[in-house]
Parts: sequence; structure tokens; C-alpha cells
Amino acid sequence: MPFDAWSLIGGLEVTLDVDVLVGAFPDRDGPPGTPESVGELLAGHRTRTGAVAGLRAALFDVRQGNDEVLALAADPRWLPVGTVDLRDPVGAGRELDRLAGAGVRAVRLFPDEQGVEASFPSVRHVARRATELGLVVLTGGDVRRFWQPFAGIGARVVFLDTHFYHLGDFLVAAMEEPGFHTSTRLLNSPDALETVAAEVGAERLLHGTRAPHYEPIVPLLRLATGGLDPAQVAAVAGGNARRLLS
Amino acid sequence: MIIDVHAHWGPWFFTMDVAGASLATMDRYGIGKAIVSATEAVIYDAQAGNRALAKVLEGQDRLYGYVTVNPRRLREAAEDLRDLTGPWVGVKIHTDYTGSPVTSPRMRAALELAAEAGRPALVHTWGPSVLDLAQVCLDIPGLRVIAGHMGADGYRYAIEAANGCDRLYLEPCWSHAPAGRIAEVVAAVDDRRLLFGTDATLIDPSSAFGAVAAAGLTGATAERVAWRNAAELFAI
Repeated sequence: MPFDAWSLIGGLEVTLDVDVLVGAFPDRDGPPGTPESVGELLAGHRTRTGAVAGLRAALFDVRQGNDEVLALAADPRWLPVGTVDLRDPVGAGRELDRLAGAGVRAVRLFPDEQGVEASFPSVRHVARRATELGLVVLTGGDVRRFWQPFAGIGARVVFLDTHFYHLGDFLVAAMEEPGFHTSTRLLNSPDALETVAAEVGAERLLHGTRAPHYEPIVPLLRLATGGLDPAQVAAVAGGNARRLLS
Repeated sequence: MIIDVHAHWGPWFFTMDVAGASLATMDRYGIGKAIVSATEAVIYDAQAGNRALAKVLEGQDRLYGYVTVNPRRLREAAEDLRDLTGPWVGVKIHTDYTGSPVTSPRMRAALELAAEAGRPALVHTWGPSVLDLAQVCLDIPGLRVIAGHMGADGYRYAIEAANGCDRLYLEPCWSHAPAGRIAEVVAAVDDRRLLFGTDATLIDPSSAFGAVAAAGLTGATAERVAWRNAAELFAI
């Protein structure tokens, strides 16, 4: 049978996917993004836990959306990730304090969805405050621009949108920044994962899918069929994320 | 068996070293045959790249060639289409690298050359440009075109384009895999005009392979997408 991806994926399991969303985009037909449907999608892709952030928090109501996600913490399928709105940097600072006080380990930024550029004071403010609070930052946006507000402050960051076209920029930044990591979602050239492992170490790679808005099988298949050794694959499939986010 | 109708041979300018990757990568995904264009031909010098690829195609039976055409170099293109036959089963035209939008007169002239040569043309499409490709195809008798990337984020335009021109085929490769993209196209387009392509060696085949796998194709449709349509279109 053509296109039998599961025979290529074999026994690979994901212990922690760093890029999962609940909620829906109002400008798209779907998917609905209910926690139940997303949980089923993850289970169907052999994913034990998702580091999950909420689109309600990203797009409309930060506090209510974050509380919805934090309420998922009792379920081992979820590792809640907070969100702030970069359009309101003053409120974002207060929400970071609240999230850290609630024991949240990571905050996710949605600059593209919120129409915020890397050079805006808001991003620098949030980057510094999150780092001071010991929060890991998961950020979208073009890594060639969004590396800058996190540089030189000891930030621990996962760039969620690193495209293999821009891999060289990530690598030269990561060589100087031990806290810089990248999601695997768009590192789908034939040697991108292997190049990261060779240049800065496989510990900088975190499996991310953006389920349910992207097909989670694509980065899973790439990881399963690539050139990383079994220990590196296990680390990328969740070990690295667990170390960073726990 | 799978036929990859959108593949490349040669180096890229990004941080990557994939010039040697080809048959082993194809084997991993069950890709028996691939139709390739030379990266040099696509990005910089069409005629020099085509000539370099000719040496690679000699003496093997799994790789077929696209004669890459730069719409700004139509005399050279005509020479290449005359000289490069046998395993050279199609024409490749990139809109961006040559600064030649689908609607430009020079692109139309290049596609007329492809039609005269009787070879399908793989054309880079992005966004609504796939609709322009459908119109040009309708305007040129006998032309068969493949919408490379099937418009990428413009895949809904690709549905409209394919349903408006029965000589336009869709090929899905893209480095992004939005949920449901392939399934939506398959549900809306005649499955005799759906092809499989990867963009290897720029993109690992896992991207297109995984996206198509997610659509859960079965039976005759899976077979058509995997190889049958390509075998008929290119007579390979």
C-alpha cells in the first residue's frame, strides 16, 4: 500500500510534544480544537503528553484562556503552557507574574497572530520579565528576527517556527546562546535535524507538531526516518522538552 | 510503487548538504521513479544545469529529467527541447527565479514551446497564481500543465483551477502541512489529475508523504496519486 507512514514510523513514541493548541481560529473553518478532540489526535499519533496553550488566551481573553488551560493540569495528557498578549505589554507583565506564581513553567508567544514584530518594546519587555521569572518561552515568529530580543539575557527559548530555510541563522545564534532551542516542525529538509545535532547538539531539538492545526504525522515521520541515533531520537521526542519544562 | 513528479538534483544555497541524497532517500519512501530538474538550471543557468543533469541521467533507469526552461532564454530553451530527448519527459519552469509571472507574455511563450514539444510542464504556483495557470493552459491548445505545490497556501484556488481546466494536474509538495489540506483537495478534484511530488532534495519526502498519508487515501485513488496518473501523463 502506498503512503503507509506507520510502517516507517515503527515503534517511535512521543513523550512530550512542545507545540499543541486548544481552541479554534475564528478565521478558519476548523478544527474545533476541543481538549477532547486534540487529546484523541495526540493519542492517535502515539503522543503521551502535549505542552498545550490556548487560542482563547492568545486571541481574546488572556486570563480566562490561561485558566482554561491550567485546569487541564490534572490530566497527564497535558502540560499547560501560559500565554500573554503582546499587544498589551503592561498586562502581559502582570500575567507573567500570575502564571509563575501558579507554578507554570513556560509561556507561549503568538507574535504573528497578534500582529507584533520582534523589534517592538513589548517583546523585549516580555522576554526579560519571563527570563527573570525563570519561565521558558515558546515563541512563534521568524527566528531571523525573534532571536534578537532574547539574546544576551540568559533566556531559555524554543523557537516554534524555525523553517529549514532559516536554519543557518538559528544555528549561528544558538552557538552563542545555550538557552536557544528549536521545534522540529518545519525542519523538514533532508538533513536539518542532523545538522542541528552536529552543530549545536541534539539537545536543542524539541519535537513539535502544532496539532491539531498541522498534520502531526509529518514531523513524526521525519524524526522516525532521519539520521539521529536512538538516544537522540528519544531525547527529541520528549526527553529534551521534559528536561526544559519540568 | 510511487512516482515523484517534483524532484531535484544538485546543491542548494541554504544551510544544507544534500547534493548526494537521491536514490537512498527514494528507497526509504518506496519511490521507484522520480522526475528531476537540476537545481542549477532552476536557480541560475538553465542550459548549463540541463547539460549537467544529462550526465546524471545516463546509465540509470529511475531518474527522468525535466528540461528546465527560463522564459527569458527562449532560444536556448528551444535548443534544449530539441536536443534533450529520451529520459527528458517534461518541462520545468520556475516563476520566481526567472522573474516570470504566469501571466507574463514570456511565460506564455515558454509554455507554447512545451506544448509544441508535447511534454507536460511543471510550473511553480503559489497562492492564486494557480488560477492564472489554468487560464493560460486553456488558451494554449494541447498544453498539459502541473501546478507545482498546487498553490501551496492557495490550495483552494488549485481546486478551482483543476475543476476549470481538464489539462491541469495538481502536485502537492510544500514544507508546511496544514491539517486537512490534501484531503480537501482529493475530495474536490477528479482523482485522475492528482499527482505525487516531494520537492526532494530541497524538502525531505517525509513532508509530502506524511501529508498524503494523513489524507488516508485508499484503493484506486491511492494508486492513481501514487503512480498511475504520472505513468500515464509522462508515458513512463
